[in-house]
Amino acid sequence: MGTINVKGKEIEVDEDGFLVDPSDWNEDVVMAFAALEEIDELTDEHWNIINYLRDYFNKFQTAPMVRKLCKETGCSNKHMYELFPSGPAKGACKLAGLPKPTGCV
Amino acid sequence: MDSLKPQDITRPLSDQLISLDKFMPLPAPYDKPGMEPGPSPLKEAWKDNHCTTLDGIIGNDRLTRPGTKEEEERFVKNFLSGMDKLFSKETNSGFLTPFLLAFEYCAKCDACSEACHIFKASGEKEVYRPIFRSEALRKLYRRYKKGGGLAARFTGGDMEINLEAVLRLGELAYRCNLCRRCAQNCPLGLDNSLIAREIRALFSMEMGIAPTSLHERGTLLQLKTGSSTGMKRKAFSNIIEFIEEEIADRTGKMYKIPVDKKGADILLIHNAGEFLSWPDNPAAFAILFEEAGLNWTMSSELAGYDAVNYGIWYDDVQAQKIALAQRRAARELGVRRIVIGECGHAHRAAAVSSDRLAAGADNIPRESSFPILRDIVRSGAVKFDPLRNNFPVTLHDPCNIVRSMGVVMPQRQILKALCPQFREMTPHGVNNYCCGGGGGFSVMREMNFSEWKMKVAARMKFKQILDAFQDTIQDPVIPKYVCAPCSNCKGAIRDMLDLYQATAKFNVQYAGIVELMVNAMVIFDRPYFEWLQEGWAERKGI
Repeated sequence: MGTINVKGKEIEVDEDGFLVDPSDWNEDVVMAFAALEEIDELTDEHWNIINYLRDYFNKFQTAPMVRKLCKETGCSNKHMYELFPSGPAKGACKLAGLPKPTGCV
Repeated sequence: MDSLKPQDITRPLSDQLISLDKFMPLPAPYDKPGMEPGPSPLKEAWKDNHCTTLDGIIGNDRLTRPGTKEEEERFVKNFLSGMDKLFSKETNSGFLTPFLLAFEYCAKCDACSEACHIFKASGEKEVYRPIFRSEALRKLYRRYKKGGGLAARFTGGDMEINLEAVLRLGELAYRCNLCRRCAQNCPLGLDNSLIAREIRALFSMEMGIAPTSLHERGTLLQLKTGSSTGMKRKAFSNIIEFIEEEIADRTGKMYKIPVDKKGADILLIHNAGEFLSWPDNPAAFAILFEEAGLNWTMSSELAGYDAVNYGIWYDDVQAQKIALAQRRAARELGVRRIVIGECGHAHRAAAVSSDRLAAGADNIPRESSFPILRDIVRSGAVKFDPLRNNFPVTLHDPCNIVRSMGVVMPQRQILKALCPQFREMTPHGVNNYCCGGGGGFSVMREMNFSEWKMKVAARMKFKQILDAFQDTIQDPVIPKYVCAPCSNCKGAIRDMLDLYQATAKFNVQYAGIVELMVNAMVIFDRPYFEWLQEGWAERKGI
């Protein structure tokens, strides 16, 4: 466990930097994660994916399949890695405040 | 080679027993300098809270250092009490006999070390010998449970217990893939991997210490939500709908995937990781089962859509709970049999390990999907054109399916019929090597464990893959396909191809067996594999 500093407030994250408590999520947290993930600027494309992930998670309490994420946001898997250098699961899900993927994935 | 002895696990905190370097060399093109990704440094903070004194690696994130002297004493005491329970019929009825055989009769001939991919790939590090771990436990047992007198000293009970020994043993239990290749090569048939597994069970069942990814975010999550991925029924149904759409988009043909069909002959259960990471696999199963006209269904009941059972890797009670939940899902549907998709440990858990955990009315026949798939090829129910798979293909044997269950030929019969350039790895079949992801390692990604997993545990498999493709490895135009019919093996192979950039640089692809079958189906006018689709129309015209 560790913490990240978001505008003076310490927020708890796990070993891989994912939020421990999903209710800690807000736009400032996204900005702080983006800096850690080496994303220079958050564009509409980033937000489109973050919002899709959050909607899906709220509805199903789990992250969507990467294939579905790509199809429904119109973002190819390759472009996903350009937007989120650590990829959809480790990068995009982290910014969206989702827990770390579990199981045989 | 180092000259460590089992007693050295008691060495003080300041001594890390081994450092990871001088690994087994890899074949071309990975024999050149700069092709091996460098090691990443150990975080200082980890040293304070975890056990990094074995090899600088943390596999079990829940194995943390006690904070006070009292906690330390309790920790060691609990370990000794748990050790005691491994040796009693009342507390270890499931594994007592094979455990005692391995514990008592080992002649220390060391045939197991030669058979162990972790020992060999690590550059023959002493602590990774299968008998090193067993011998350390043996010494503690003889010292503390056999009185510790003169007789115990003569029989090897000459090691004082301390905190560092317990911690190192707790980590060392997670440096074995539980592949059982050592047992197969032991002249007495003794299973040193079972000793590793029993040490894991001791820590989990007596001390409540098991890696988060296996227990809290694995087994417990599965019992609560239905899947270790956290996928609930609603999410599962959503995924099935999406897969149906995907199949239509990809093949031009609509299929309805049967879910919760009462009284079907077959309940097909996949590892739920397939849906999220490799959806082409359950999609291909659906296409084949529908085209072959099988009377089958999937289940949306709790645990009915996830075949995994992490319990078999570390905890008897958890293994039983999962096995019963899966059987219940099958019974409620009134199916005749459970068929396991491409998942090795689910094969072993359902068919072998839980055979006596769910007896009587709780039981239901369970079987591998491989013979059914073979029969689909042989019966002519589905028409295939092998030339669609005219690229080099090799087969990885999942240990649990091959070594532990003896299901060896059906997968080969399929590949020999459908892949003109099929070639075996060396060795293969029951003599195979583990992918490096066995025994829970594919799921465990805590701290710096993934790095060890790839560089040591998966190294022998990567070598075998490169060896199998030596004729074409340097030509990136030719796709080379590793058929790995197991979710956990696929996870390990994906990670190794990624780490060594073998897909990007040399066009080494991987997936399961059903994808190859669907790729060869004549009713479809395009390839099933995305990496074959580019330029397909032009190639077809030639």
